[in-house]
Amino acid sequence: MPAIEVQRQTLPILGNPNQGARFYNPDLPASEPFVPGHRTCAGCGPSIQYRMTSKASGDNTILVGPTGCMYVANSSYLCTPYNVPWAHTQIGSAGSFTAGVAAAYEAMIRKGKYKGTFPNVICEAGDGSASDIGLASISGALYRNHDCLIICYDNEQYANTGIQASSRTPYGGMTTFSPPGPKVPEAKTLYPKDLARMMAAGHPHCYVATASVGYPIDLMNKVRKGLNHKGAAYLMIYTPCQKGFVYETPRSIDLGRLVVECGLYPMWEWNPEKREYDYSFRPQTMRPVAEYLKLQGRFGHLHAEHIANLQKFANQQWQMMGVQLPEALIKSADPKNQVNMAASAEAEAVAQTL
Amino acid sequence: MSTKGTRIPEWLTVPFAGITPAPTQEKGQDLFPTGNWRSIRPVYRDKLPPCNNACGTNEKIQGYLDLVKRGKYLDAYALIKEDMPFPSVTGRVCYHPCETACNRGQYDEAISIRAVERFLGDLGQALQRDVVKPGKPNGKKVAVVGSGPAGHSAAYQLARLGYKVTILEKSPKAGGLNRGGIPDWVLPQDVLDREIERLIELGIAIKTNTEVGKDVSWDSLKKDYDAVVLAVGLTEPNSVRAEGENKQGVIYGLPFLRDIGMGTSKVKLGARVAVIGGGNTAIDCAREALRQGAVEVTMITVEGNPKEMPCVPEDLHDMLEEGVELIHGKAVTAVLGNGRVEALELHPAKFSGAINASPITINKDVAAEKFAVDNVIIAVGQHASLAWLPAEFKTERGSIKIDRFGRLGDTNFFAAGDIVQLGSGQPLMVVNAVGDGKRVAFNLDKALRGEALEPRKIAIDVIVDLNRMNMTYFPHFPRVKQDMLNPTSRKKTQDEVILAFTEEQAVEEAGRCFSCGTCNACDNCYLVCPEPCIARSDRSNGLYKILVDYCKGCRVCIEECPTGCLEGVPELDFDAGVVRMDTAFAISPGLHGRQAQELANLASRPAKEL
Repeated sequence: MPAIEVQRQTLPILGNPNQGARFYNPDLPASEPFVPGHRTCAGCGPSIQYRMTSKASGDNTILVGPTGCMYVANSSYLCTPYNVPWAHTQIGSAGSFTAGVAAAYEAMIRKGKYKGTFPNVICEAGDGSASDIGLASISGALYRNHDCLIICYDNEQYANTGIQASSRTPYGGMTTFSPPGPKVPEAKTLYPKDLARMMAAGHPHCYVATASVGYPIDLMNKVRKGLNHKGAAYLMIYTPCQKGFVYETPRSIDLGRLVVECGLYPMWEWNPEKREYDYSFRPQTMRPVAEYLKLQGRFGHLHAEHIANLQKFANQQWQMMGVQLPEALIKSADPKNQVNMAASAEAEAVAQTL
Repeated sequence: MSTKGTRIPEWLTVPFAGITPAPTQEKGQDLFPTGNWRSIRPVYRDKLPPCNNACGTNEKIQGYLDLVKRGKYLDAYALIKEDMPFPSVTGRVCYHPCETACNRGQYDEAISIRAVERFLGDLGQALQRDVVKPGKPNGKKVAVVGSGPAGHSAAYQLARLGYKVTILEKSPKAGGLNRGGIPDWVLPQDVLDREIERLIELGIAIKTNTEVGKDVSWDSLKKDYDAVVLAVGLTEPNSVRAEGENKQGVIYGLPFLRDIGMGTSKVKLGARVAVIGGGNTAIDCAREALRQGAVEVTMITVEGNPKEMPCVPEDLHDMLEEGVELIHGKAVTAVLGNGRVEALELHPAKFSGAINASPITINKDVAAEKFAVDNVIIAVGQHASLAWLPAEFKTERGSIKIDRFGRLGDTNFFAAGDIVQLGSGQPLMVVNAVGDGKRVAFNLDKALRGEALEPRKIAIDVIVDLNRMNMTYFPHFPRVKQDMLNPTSRKKTQDEVILAFTEEQAVEEAGRCFSCGTCNACDNCYLVCPEPCIARSDRSNGLYKILVDYCKGCRVCIEECPTGCLEGVPELDFDAGVVRMDTAFAISPGLHGRQAQELANLASRPAKEL
């Protein structure tokens, strides 16, 4: 029996209204694979990301949801907000399950058992699954180059179990596993795992990119580029968590922009054809990290030297992207030019009593 | 717990027996109406943009800029025509209070609204047939006295309401101040002629050479028409009360411009001309004098510096560019010469109170200064000629006495424009007269139909605070400049000084509009909602709907709304038409609520049914 050729979807790239247009007016698709009524917190960042991703990919999509917020909060009573096929899988087997779905569709189409175009297979893993528990299986799926998109929605902690530290939790971030105290005043001493770069370096044949909910059209375009890429693609998307970051719910999108403007979340794409990084994304402004940190309760305990350390880290990220550092940011990396967070004294007092 | 042997009523099987309803795009997850988490509800509430508010006739400026940037020029033209009968005229002559009020001025540079208006006006001029149609005839006759901006506007609005309108104009050509007070190099005659033609196309009769008080009497107006709008304007020039002002060579500003505009001018100017006054007419006279052959033009003002002059700063700049000299802080006390003006006597002077609204104090202790000139043009304001008006309707200021609706007592006479605005604190500008004419026309219509009249509208909520909008969505862009003729060549000709926008320039400039406080369907709320509970049926202005059954009140949409038209309203403020669950405020109880209702009704059901 002759093999049937697999028909793949090509999604158009949206015009980016933030670059060059005089007024904000994106042209969005109409389909809505993600519907309201889910039980995530008000202003949930991962939920915004899920919505934008599924809107970009359209109705011919299969979603894979390893254990995480977007599984636990969204599928209670077996009732989910997904209007497209969605399957839960174990937190450790995100990559292998997704690879299986993609491989199965390829085989079924080839053998004529499934009529229709190849669906967009998207795995929505949290940073716990993507950077810690399911790292091996995701790496395997990327390495074997199955035609799928694996997304790490990065809320920088294990949120659905009550805010525990993951390897993506930033330096200084308070979680229940990394509380600040007299011995460790900065709460978390380790810097976050550079997960996206690890995936780009380790699987150079894959499309890899970072994105943020603060730049919705850019995010949707990267999802479409990843889906259009024949083979595996990997996206790491910054998604603020209102409960874990401790901020006011309206600031979800704002934080997504601030984290990029502060240099703590460099936005780039890995071009698998040229085998090089594309660092051309530039936010409208550059800001000192304190502007991002001060909006969040999880950084409320930081002292001047910790903020300076984070600024140093951000400056390294800017330099890596080839950005000329303004004098003000170099100065901010010196603890002498920083002040303690407003709540740091109270945080210390509380810690002493324990 | 086993349910073995238990008969489960049908309405309870749905959620508990493991069969959950599938979500749909239309209904969402019916089982979980998360709207009951909400304490603040986002609502769309359009506010008044500052430009619409500042405009003398409240043009829907944000609206037509939005249409222009989407390429719907004809719709934009139709929108502007609701409030403004001649955008091609105001697009050239307006002092653009809208641009002064524009919020973009606080951010980078104000939008060039007047240039876009002119683009639309010229588009309308080129149309074979105008978009505006006369209203269904209602059999009533109205006379409009005067065809200047206020009369033109009132007649236009009344014709649209179905009245049979007759305009009475004392000059040989219609147009009033638009023709007689504005030079050709600002407003070419053929543009105005075309706008007058549009009035005739609306079925309006224009009787020229007909002066009220001479050709038509007050009583015949009263007898022949159901109602009358008096928009006679200020026609008589003020004098400076200087000695020898009646000498030959002394010209008054408005008649000077009017005669040139009507084509009946016999004035020959000498080489040295002095213009007395610091307002817009004075500036126009000074620039016109250059074009009439004067070589040295000097403007003499009482105001101490250029900033105090009651004029449009751009026009002052253009005048100085053309080489007119300024003398500040001086008043003319005498015109010297033997039968013909040879020189002026100047004394230091200043306003005793507010600029342009108080008597002038002249310092006679200082020796008089002599200023040699060949001609003097005096342009220090106008007053009305109201000999024909019954005394009971005159004010001490020399204007017409009206109530706050624009009506003369309880007659069917209404008055509009400069003749009522004089001394009222309102600017005496074309656009303000147009607005006054419009409002009076609407009140006249209401009066004839026996409805309650409306006073001048007061703005409710004008959005002037940029913090109420989200500036992240607006990159900085410079204002698109209108091209101009070169000052050295233009000052000898009657060619239009400021050039029109091209289509690309107009779209580019309209694209800079913030759309302050008014939804322009940017889709941002729709895109950033985490639920997503903002539905979009059709993508045009204001057709978003918030599904309150699901909205958790996170307020991301409010924070991210670029225009600031979304607002948070405490849920407790909604008390009408809201069905609440006991615990919270969902607009409808959802499946859980319906089930609770069924359970509550259980006790009252007959046992047999169970």
